Amino acid sequence: MAKDQTGFLRGQWKQEGLFALVARMILGAVFIYASIDKILNPAAFAKAVYNYQILPEGLINLTAIVLPCLELILGIFLIIGLFREGSLGLVTFLLLVFFGSMVFNLARGLDIHCGCFSMSTDGTNNTPMVLYVFRDGLFLLPALFLLYRTFLSRRQIADA
Amino acid sequence: MKTDRIVGKTWRAIWQSGLIFILAAVAGLLMNQARSDTLPLVADWSPEARLTENSGESLIISLEEAKALCSDKDAVFLDARSPEDYVQGHIRCAQNIPWQSFDEYIDRVFETIPDNARIVTYCDGEHCSLSEDLAKELLSMGYENVKVLLNGWTRWLEAGLPVEKGHEGHSDGREGYQWNLLMRPTMNMRTAKR
Repeated sequence: MAKDQTGFLRGQWKQEGLFALVARMILGAVFIYASIDKILNPAAFAKAVYNYQILPEGLINLTAIVLPCLELILGIFLIIGLFREGSLGLVTFLLLVFFGSMVFNLARGLDIHCGCFSMSTDGTNNTPMVLYVFRDGLFLLPALFLLYRTFLSRRQIADA
Repeated sequence: MKTDRIVGKTWRAIWQSGLIFILAAVAGLLMNQARSDTLPLVADWSPEARLTENSGESLIISLEEAKALCSDKDAVFLDARSPEDYVQGHIRCAQNIPWQSFDEYIDRVFETIPDNARIVTYCDGEHCSLSEDLAKELLSMGYENVKVLLNGWTRWLEAGLPVEKGHEGHSDGREGYQWNLLMRPTMNMRTAKR
């Protein structure tokens, strides 16, 4: 494929192709960015997890403690290219879980007639949840592309 | 040949995922211990626990108490749900302060509700946190007498207590319902608190 031949330059571009490199950097940056606010405000994030009404109460705080770190580490690993198969698999898994939880709550939110769409606790967030679902779906594209590239494509991606 | 490669990579993905997860768990737990506002590993998320202040005082008001306050016109009821929900039906003595757009209503709150007013917030649903968030914000703004009627709209409706429809916004606070409060305007104090 023509796209695979983009790697005229040496190094990463040549090894994995421009698309894969860019996709990896974008995903990594998104995960690092997403983790920062959660790491800074664990209590607020715990409240957000609680508001999703999916996890049992006993797991809410543990999730709020571990998940932001997981996102940060995954973001860093994606960018530096460490443990590629594992970090890519976990990133895709997390994006799917987030996507599923949001779709689930979107559907259920209408049912329970609650008006609990606000995930932020400052009361100023009016973004419709559909947009979050759409955004998460967008992030899934580079993840699935990388997953295909890493596991199924004939093209070898050198390990870091 | 290709299958072997995929299986090999999948195994690698699995043990790497496990390792990354353990790393994240250890880092997260250590970081949590190190910070000043350490989260307990397992917390009580029941409404009773969430709505109990550090002083041990509960913010929850019973339906009976709320009913009495409404019929005696002795409290300001605030409906924290969206204007659409409010218009479709609300507790008779309630005005609408949608938590989701609280910033737009903040001036009205300060102008119409005196500091010493009794306030009861409510929304709808067992897990609805709008009324709770609104109540806590009002408390932090300096209002001292704020209570939450849990799952308020559903319980109020089921108990057959007086409700109203329409009146988008807050006009009913002035027309159909007269607050019987010790209204002493203390605008300066309220402005200062902002």
